Amino acid sequence: MIPALFAVSIYWDLPVLLVIVSFVYAATRHDRWDRILSEAFGWGVRIAMFLVGIGLTLYLLSTYL
Amino acid sequence: MASASPKASSEPLELPLPPVKLDPLAALFSYLVPGLGQIYQGRIGKGLLFFAGLYTLFFYGMWMGQWRNVWLPDTHDLPDVVVLGQRLEGVPKAVSYRPQFVAQFFIGTAAWPAVYQYIKFDRTKDEGPPPFKKFQRAPTEEQLNELQRNASKRWDLGWVYTVIAGVLNLLVIYDALAGPMFRDPPKWLEEQAAGKPAAPEGPKPLTAANPPPEPVAPVAAATNPPDGPPQGGAT
Repeated sequence: MIPALFAVSIYWDLPVLLVIVSFVYAATRHDRWDRILSEAFGWGVRIAMFLVGIGLTLYLLSTYL
Repeated sequence: MASASPKASSEPLELPLPPVKLDPLAALFSYLVPGLGQIYQGRIGKGLLFFAGLYTLFFYGMWMGQWRNVWLPDTHDLPDVVVLGQRLEGVPKAVSYRPQFVAQFFIGTAAWPAVYQYIKFDRTKDEGPPPFKKFQRAPTEEQLNELQRNASKRWDLGWVYTVIAGVLNLLVIYDALAGPMFRDPPKWLEEQAAGKPAAPEGPKPLTAANPPPEPVAPVAAATNPPDGPPQGGAT
């Protein structure tokens, strides 16, 4: 899986999307920076976990099914 | 979100917020340039965050698509589109062939060159009029095929990024219009509330956490007959 991950370049574009969506969305919900940062971190973790989960599921399906 | 719910039940009652004032001018500014409305309102840090974040996402998406994924197509030689018995013409027809442009349009002025290129489109030329030339000009069928064949999935992912940037700017426009979803009380009010002693004996504001007393008890105490049995006594 690891060599495949490095070979496909679109995965390296995802952190840009993840960070910006987390920060912008959190900033539309709060005005205070401490709350923006904590909420952005929470959304970043959730989105990353979702993407990793989907990626892992698809990898397992394509490998073992 | 779940962590905010316990506070949400009591805070708004204890620290009353001023009513929301809509700011359509700031919303317009934030449409034109992401974050400009917030900067106009004095929320400079947030405005700069929106500006940098959304323009980074939009232009990064355009870069991934080799600067050829934001456009409105020329539809003169394309088949008719009929919606509810009506034949679409002009911009509606162009949008029906390129619906993602609706979301891209909400990034503001950064997507206006595509509209200009659509208006000024001349199929006999290879590029549009200056200053935009090929920027956000509709590619030909051959160019599109080449982009999709050679750019792998990045070309498609690129336009998705530009669409997400446009949709996120809708939230930014709403933030400029009506403020953030969770408003904080003014600082002076928070400081006053934090510095105030607990005051267990003093009058408390009526909140969800501090409900008014039951009306039955005082009535029963005031009208308690001297000889009568206690109300509700079992024996």
